[in-house]
Amino acid sequence: MDRDDHDRQPHPREDEHEFGEERESLWRIAFAPTIWAFHFAISYAAVSVYCFKFERMVDMGTLRLGLIAMTVVMLAAIAWIGWRAFRRWDVYDTGEFTNPEGSAEDRHQFLGHAGFLLAVVSFIGVVYDTLPLVILGTCR
Amino acid sequence: MSQNRIPAGDLAAKGVYPPTEEMLNEPVPEEVQAGQRERLAKAWKTPQGWRYWTAVNNSEVGVWYTMTAFAFMLMAGVMALLMRLQLWVPENDLISADMFNQLFTMHGSAMMFLFAVPMFEAISILILPAFLGARDMPFPRLSAYGYWCFLIGGVFVIGSILFSAAPKAGWFMYPPLATIELGIGSDIWLLGLSFIEVASIAAAVELIVGALKCRPPGMRVNVMPLYAWYVLVVGGMILFAFPPLIAGDFLFELERSFDWPFFDHTRGGDPMLWQHLFWIFGHPEVYIIFLPSIAIAAMIVPTVARRPILGYSWIVLSAVGTGFLSFGLWVHHMFTTGLPNISLGFFSAASEAVVIPTGIQLFAFVATLIAGRVVMTLPMLWIAGALAIFTAGGLTGVMVAVAPFDWQVHDTYFIVAHLHYTLFGGMVFPVIAGVYYFFPFFRKKMLSERLGRWAFWLIFTGFNITFLPMHLTGLLGMPRRVYTYPEGLGIDWLNQISTVGSFIVAAGFAVFAWDIVRPKKDQPQIARNPWGGGTLEWSHEIPETKWGVRSIPHITSRYPLWDQPKLVDRMDAGRYYLPDAEEGLRETVVTSVIDARPIQVQRVTGPAYITIMAAGFTGGAFIFPTFHIYTPAIICAAFAVVCILYWLWTSTARPPEKDMKDVGLGLSLPTYAAGPQAVGWWAVWITMLGDATAFASLVFGVFFYWTSNSAFPPPGAEHASGYVVALATAAFALSWALTRGARGLNRAGRVAAARAALALAPLLTLSGMGGFILSVLDLDPTSHVYPAMMWALMVWVVAHGIVGTIMQGYCLAGSLLGKLTPRYDADLWNVTLFWHFLGLTALVTGAMIGLVPRLM
Amino acid sequence: MTRDTRARRPLPPGSSRLLLAAPLLLAACDGRQSVLVDGGADARILTDLFVVMLIGAVVLWFGMNGLFYWATRRSPAPHSQRMANWLVILGGIAFPTVTLGALLVYGLTLMPDLRATGDGPVIRVTGEQWWWRVAYEREDGSTVVTANEIRLPAGVRSTFLLDSKEVIHSFWVPSLGGKMDMFPGRVNEMTLGPEVPGVYRGQCAEFCGESHAWMAFEAEVMEPAAFEAWLEAEATPAAPPATPEAGRGAALFLSQGCGACHAVRGTPAVGQVGPDLTHVGSRHSLAAGRLGTSLEDFAKWVANPGAWKPGAEMPAYDHLSDAQIGAIAAYLEGLE
Repeated sequence: MDRDDHDRQPHPREDEHEFGEERESLWRIAFAPTIWAFHFAISYAAVSVYCFKFERMVDMGTLRLGLIAMTVVMLAAIAWIGWRAFRRWDVYDTGEFTNPEGSAEDRHQFLGHAGFLLAVVSFIGVVYDTLPLVILGTCR
Repeated sequence: MSQNRIPAGDLAAKGVYPPTEEMLNEPVPEEVQAGQRERLAKAWKTPQGWRYWTAVNNSEVGVWYTMTAFAFMLMAGVMALLMRLQLWVPENDLISADMFNQLFTMHGSAMMFLFAVPMFEAISILILPAFLGARDMPFPRLSAYGYWCFLIGGVFVIGSILFSAAPKAGWFMYPPLATIELGIGSDIWLLGLSFIEVASIAAAVELIVGALKCRPPGMRVNVMPLYAWYVLVVGGMILFAFPPLIAGDFLFELERSFDWPFFDHTRGGDPMLWQHLFWIFGHPEVYIIFLPSIAIAAMIVPTVARRPILGYSWIVLSAVGTGFLSFGLWVHHMFTTGLPNISLGFFSAASEAVVIPTGIQLFAFVATLIAGRVVMTLPMLWIAGALAIFTAGGLTGVMVAVAPFDWQVHDTYFIVAHLHYTLFGGMVFPVIAGVYYFFPFFRKKMLSERLGRWAFWLIFTGFNITFLPMHLTGLLGMPRRVYTYPEGLGIDWLNQISTVGSFIVAAGFAVFAWDIVRPKKDQPQIARNPWGGGTLEWSHEIPETKWGVRSIPHITSRYPLWDQPKLVDRMDAGRYYLPDAEEGLRETVVTSVIDARPIQVQRVTGPAYITIMAAGFTGGAFIFPTFHIYTPAIICAAFAVVCILYWLWTSTARPPEKDMKDVGLGLSLPTYAAGPQAVGWWAVWITMLGDATAFASLVFGVFFYWTSNSAFPPPGAEHASGYVVALATAAFALSWALTRGARGLNRAGRVAAARAALALAPLLTLSGMGGFILSVLDLDPTSHVYPAMMWALMVWVVAHGIVGTIMQGYCLAGSLLGKLTPRYDADLWNVTLFWHFLGLTALVTGAMIGLVPRLM
Repeated sequence: MTRDTRARRPLPPGSSRLLLAAPLLLAACDGRQSVLVDGGADARILTDLFVVMLIGAVVLWFGMNGLFYWATRRSPAPHSQRMANWLVILGGIAFPTVTLGALLVYGLTLMPDLRATGDGPVIRVTGEQWWWRVAYEREDGSTVVTANEIRLPAGVRSTFLLDSKEVIHSFWVPSLGGKMDMFPGRVNEMTLGPEVPGVYRGQCAEFCGESHAWMAFEAEVMEPAAFEAWLEAEATPAAPPATPEAGRGAALFLSQGCGACHAVRGTPAVGQVGPDLTHVGSRHSLAAGRLGTSLEDFAKWVANPGAWKPGAEMPAYDHLSDAQIGAIAAYLEGLE
């Protein structure tokens, strides 16, 4: 649908070009925890299938190495997402921690802040979930 | 492009937005206001006399819902008192073992399914629209339908104990105990609670759509009340947590009714699958209960601290983070089942990790109080009690999350103590705080300060007297769910203390209940904002009006009543949006998800009998099979479908009398929306996400049997016919393509072609269903879990195929009878969306029946 | 099975920790089904873990609630927002991440030891509604069948192979270590390393039906030599009745059909439905911890099992005269 006819649209304010609603997505703040969820599910499923099906065929060390390698990749991904979100939060330039205004800019920075914090928690979650792989090495 | 060729679903808002200060300053003439008030009052009038029960307005349904849930809670509490009396002395014979087992099963089931989750939904239905300055929930009749389902199902389930026919295998219903249990107890649990779960999901869908799409203009995601964030998170959790349980119930009831051996190890089944499905539901459930209560605290704390919440983003983070992490905890209920240590380790780790966001929430509250000027009110006293109790429960939670320690205390009274500390601290106390805080909002009277303090101190001390000793009772070796215990274990005196405490708690609840129901006729009405809160619900009008808000405001702050000084006067004057009901219709504004830009006027439904009838017939469809009576059940199901179709046909997505409506402040909004613009489309999308989760749980079941059982499928097992499965899948795919095609053709104005597609599609669906049935017909589902699982998948896809066929027919009828036109095609959008999911389900089912077992 | 048979033992090393952990815990050291009585290494490891966590929990509880009390009651006036911010960052993220991480590592490192491979006897325990079928697997491939009682040698790790006949149960001797569920159709393995001789009580921890409350057993930890002697004796067939009354009881036992369900090795009674009674007189308890093993206990049980254990499968023998029941009781009590 052709929407360039601004007369038929409510007038957006100036700042809304940069921080336009159509550029945002609520899903974005869920990326990091979603990576945690995948990491968790893959680790659990791999160990379960291994211990019930393939314990006698393959060495556990290979599986652990594979899963730890996956962990490193996923931690890197979370760190990158966290960094991106931190940039969107833009706290150094604005000095603004709380973003309480009903403006597009505050909303933009708020989503960055929430995304950043979720990346931090997801990072911790992935590290925790890797500890059993490091400490425990058998199916017992 | 000329206006009349734009499909109505794509019409955009016209005019000025956001409103300018001059526009807002312009007064509204008195006589205009009076007329508006009159028309609004007429449109939102509550039915009188016995027609009162046809009401669907959130302010009525919400009150019924909360009071019903509270009544169930009191009943379940009485059961607890009976159990405590039985445990007063060792070898007591006050209550028989059989009745005791029914009592604890019903106590747990009722507290969870009839109180905790419904209470969240009830409170949210009651107050969420007020937080959002909305007139009502987006689907009022759905709320009413959900309520009636809850009432019928709840009375059925809890009433069974009066006939000594209640379930008695524990609220977790572990097979094989629950599958071999004689009598109808297990069936009552499975069918009765499934029925209520469906109602819960319906409410969750409505709440999510409400929080996403029914916010007032300008209320961007960074300024919406924290309660709305929690509703979003909890609604999402319900969508992913309840469906696995429903899938489990489905398998369980198939085993009970038709002897399909899903949990019978002698025929390849495995009781562990139920434990997984139950706890994938059961642990998020705990947070589904806890988060909304924290949300209530998040509304009270800023008011008490006289300042905005400190760390709004932190709290959003912790809500979302907890929502995710809570799905990685379920095996901590299964630490003693003999799973590999590493597997236990993952769940131990996630169980510790979830403490972090929970801690952040609590610290954010404390930080707010530190930074604010605290005025200790009665609701805050309850929050303080909640904190004291919840931190104790949380800390014992950290202990039991350490798997080796859980090997000791699992299934002992230590856990009973732990879970009651988390649930009283994390749910009961905050909810009571919420009742004291919000009572003036929904009844326009205050509750008694004096009775409130009595209730608090009775419940608080009684609670600790009851449950603190239980930690030690458990450590001394008392297992849970024992109807009595021998002398000489050193637990007699502890049990006596607990029993005394439980009656003190009961006395506290009696005071609290009396405070709520006592006549308040002589009491003055409250001041408008008795606590000095900053959020929109305190803009309510005194005396009470039924229209929700006089006009829907433009919001630019988290605490509009504190930060937008002229807001309430302008709302009252009808200066903002939708100040009138010219057409005599109930309306609210639909806004965009992120920035809450107004996009549509939504006509919401009014009072109706049809919801009660639909709920009654749905109840019949669930309740008759409990007694293994199937014909009336099928008749009821058919009538339920007819009722729901009538309800949808007569009151949803009707072509409007005009395309655009002036909503005030120079803004015109479309009155009709289709596709992603429409709230109905979002509801379908969200519902189907839950449906897909249930289906995924069944698929998970197939793989679970494959890993846990060395012979799945058993060697030499007969498989479903690959060709027939392929054809059936193709028929479903084609039916999907025709439905999707019909949407495009219809919108392009090629109505005849669209009708032809919609006429052909159901035939294909039916033949696809026939194909799936045919493909597994030679397998005997009672012989082994493998054929049983294939049959279960078939039943799932066929049941959905029936719904899909009805939907295609509904659209065809709509097109023929003028409800569905190229311009007004919301129904077809929703049906197509359903079919996207159904097509995918059929595809996966085809692969799971026809292909995957051959590769296993 | 009574309290006086419970082991008297020197305080274990590290018992000074109990002084830290409040007088309540002292009460806990008195129970014969207590988690906090350390009958072996496993229980001691878990008690240590508990005490560490308890101290931490108490400190944190007072910290959190003290802060709250201070903010709302002592000093309700506004404080610096900066301080409040740091509180969230340090108290909400930094401190818990470190503490919980440490606790997690502590817990995980305990797990391999608690599931170490056994080097002692192998005991197959099957849960039934509501009693325990027990079979010691000997090195020569033979098994010694008994019921409702576990005896273990001190100083070695015994292996338990746990399964169930029909519904899920859970095998648990709190003073010896953690529990493990018993499933029909699968065998769960657990090991326990008892150290301190004595009689401990175990109980089913997973709800298993009407008489779940009465599914217990006594676990006696013995010096290795005594254990070997006991096992040797347990392997022998039943002794013939020693008194005329017991002889009448033995005849009644067979004529009343008891042998259809119960086995008394060395007699025609070979039933496999109920517990093996070959040496029932020497056990600490009757009917899975429900009663003692005195004459009266046997008589009470035989006359009406359902009165003691609701839903029990064994029928009541109340059609027999008191003298007849007394004779059966004398016979059973004499099966040592």
